Amino acid sequence: MRLPDAFKTATRSLTHGKMRSILTMLGIVIGIASVIILMSIGQSAQDLILGQVQSVGSNLIIIVPGAPSNGKFSPPASAQGIVVTSLQQRDVDALQREPSIDLAVPEVRGQAEVIYGNNSATVSYTGSTADFFAVSNLTKMSEGQAFSKSDVDSGAHVAVIGPDLANTLFGTGLDPINKTILLKNVAFRVVGVLSKGGTGAFGVDIGNLVVVPISVAQKQLLGITYFNVIIAQANAAYDINFVKSRITFVLRQDHGITDPNKDDFSIETQADILSILGSITSVLTLFLAAIASISLIVGGIGIMNIMLVSVTERTREIGLRKAVGATDTDILQQFLIESVLLTFVGGAVGIAFGMVVVGAVYLGVNAFSPTLGWVFAFPISAVILGLVVSGIAGIAFGIYPARQAGKKNPIDALRYE
Amino acid sequence: MIEIRNLQKEYVEEETPTRALRGVTLSIDKGEFVSIMGPSGSGKSTLLQILSFLDRPTGGSYTFQGKSIDGMTDRELAHVRNKDMGFVFQSFNLLSRLTVYDNVEIPLLYSATQPVKRQTLVEEAVRSVGLEDKLRTEAGKLSGGQKQRVAIARALVTDPNVIFADDPTGNLDSQSGLQIMEILKLLHDKGRTVILVTHETQTAEFANRIIRMKDGLIESDKAITAHMLHGPLK
Repeated sequence: MRLPDAFKTATRSLTHGKMRSILTMLGIVIGIASVIILMSIGQSAQDLILGQVQSVGSNLIIIVPGAPSNGKFSPPASAQGIVVTSLQQRDVDALQREPSIDLAVPEVRGQAEVIYGNNSATVSYTGSTADFFAVSNLTKMSEGQAFSKSDVDSGAHVAVIGPDLANTLFGTGLDPINKTILLKNVAFRVVGVLSKGGTGAFGVDIGNLVVVPISVAQKQLLGITYFNVIIAQANAAYDINFVKSRITFVLRQDHGITDPNKDDFSIETQADILSILGSITSVLTLFLAAIASISLIVGGIGIMNIMLVSVTERTREIGLRKAVGATDTDILQQFLIESVLLTFVGGAVGIAFGMVVVGAVYLGVNAFSPTLGWVFAFPISAVILGLVVSGIAGIAFGIYPARQAGKKNPIDALRYE
Repeated sequence: MIEIRNLQKEYVEEETPTRALRGVTLSIDKGEFVSIMGPSGSGKSTLLQILSFLDRPTGGSYTFQGKSIDGMTDRELAHVRNKDMGFVFQSFNLLSRLTVYDNVEIPLLYSATQPVKRQTLVEEAVRSVGLEDKLRTEAGKLSGGQKQRVAIARALVTDPNVIFADDPTGNLDSQSGLQIMEILKLLHDKGRTVILVTHETQTAEFANRIIRMKDGLIESDKAITAHMLHGPLK
């Protein structure tokens, strides 16, 4: 049989049982749609996370206390409850003298309850210098301004807070500027409100962040003299890996380390973090897509089931076609084309349906959280994958029923009641 | 055209062998109109199925148009069925949801005939059975007699040498049955070989040769030329 005639014959059989064809396709539609939706949303989430990390600046180098993990993935020492005090003010001073580094910004971090009047919230706070805002790409304030170097030097009790926290503490009617809040029972005067909300790099909830001068945070909130992290901003004229090696050199000299295996600090660049985050989110997306593909298999089995029923129901038709000259291959081809058409059309509808859902998620997320920066991602790879997988499913789940059809003996088929 | 020697067919069902044909020898020339008669279980339908390539014998030899069936593959058998044979069944075997046109077109699809030529052939075949006004009617909506005429058009459309008819009047009232037999007779008059299985003497008498079968063997094989002068009994 000529291929166009085979397609015409198959299409005709399918349209004669419209309702059945639609219901049979439904399994594939749902399967493909869920794979597409999860891949697209995974892509959006990945773009969002990587975008936020990148927005902090790609020329940043993060120095944390504790020995490097040497490629093995393990949480930093501080997260394991080990207090490492190796990063000190003299390290910051030494880094500031290094010409390949523009800024060296120390940070201390903690969590505490913040209170204003009857309102309170448990938040993360950061103690840092005035350069913190520049390095973190948070210089824009919706109200007030950032604290200054002299605030830090003099140990002023001033704070910059995130927009969500401002809302929690002061509501919409009250101006937060110059109000006094209590952080860990220490009074701070609010001088600025950050303009950007949402979740920032490293999972920091910027919307609920409190930033205070590092001198005050060290002495009065934490009672420590060391730093949790130093963020170095490389001079754009230097290669980032060169700067990394300079930092290693400076800190080893400063700490009197001669054996490279005994480093008491570790250095990561923005690029390192991006690649780790990128691979984590990719694995998660793939994992979700793999789960969604289970529904594809279920849909495929549904198609096989219906095709087997159809082969039995149309036994006489098969007998007649064979009697008037159809070969085994002609019959196999006809049923295979039917199942591939079912899955292929199902796949296309699934992709369209998936696109609608992804679009709705995009609109929904941006309606509820416009500052998040959720992007519409509909990877072309997902579309190609969807079509290829649905086509393959049609062949894989259609071949068995089609072979059964092709093998039928014309006499038995014609006699079938 | 058709030569069979000592043809045998044995079915094995639940380990009990049944001998449907027990050594049939027969030859049919081009242009003959042959009726095969016999009580049920006599092997007449089995014989027709083997003659029409729908089934293979388990013993003996069969030569069709000078070629032995033994060496032919299933694909070759399908090709001969498509090109040289036409089929008319008792139960019509039309695809009821397809139109008359689409039903008649089916054999041409398997001979890979070009669409333009197909249209001419289908219209011609349907016209020859007098159903040109029903071309776009669904086959399921036709009367029994009309259905069998569509089936004949389908058998004719590839211009085959032989037409096999397995009890074509068995499901029809006598009036429609008569019409069908008239058409078959006309086809024979135009030079086609017609081989018919029936259990109605009246129907069988349209032929010019009647073969009677019993218990898987030929009981009698008679030419009825004289009868042709009077025409069939009405």
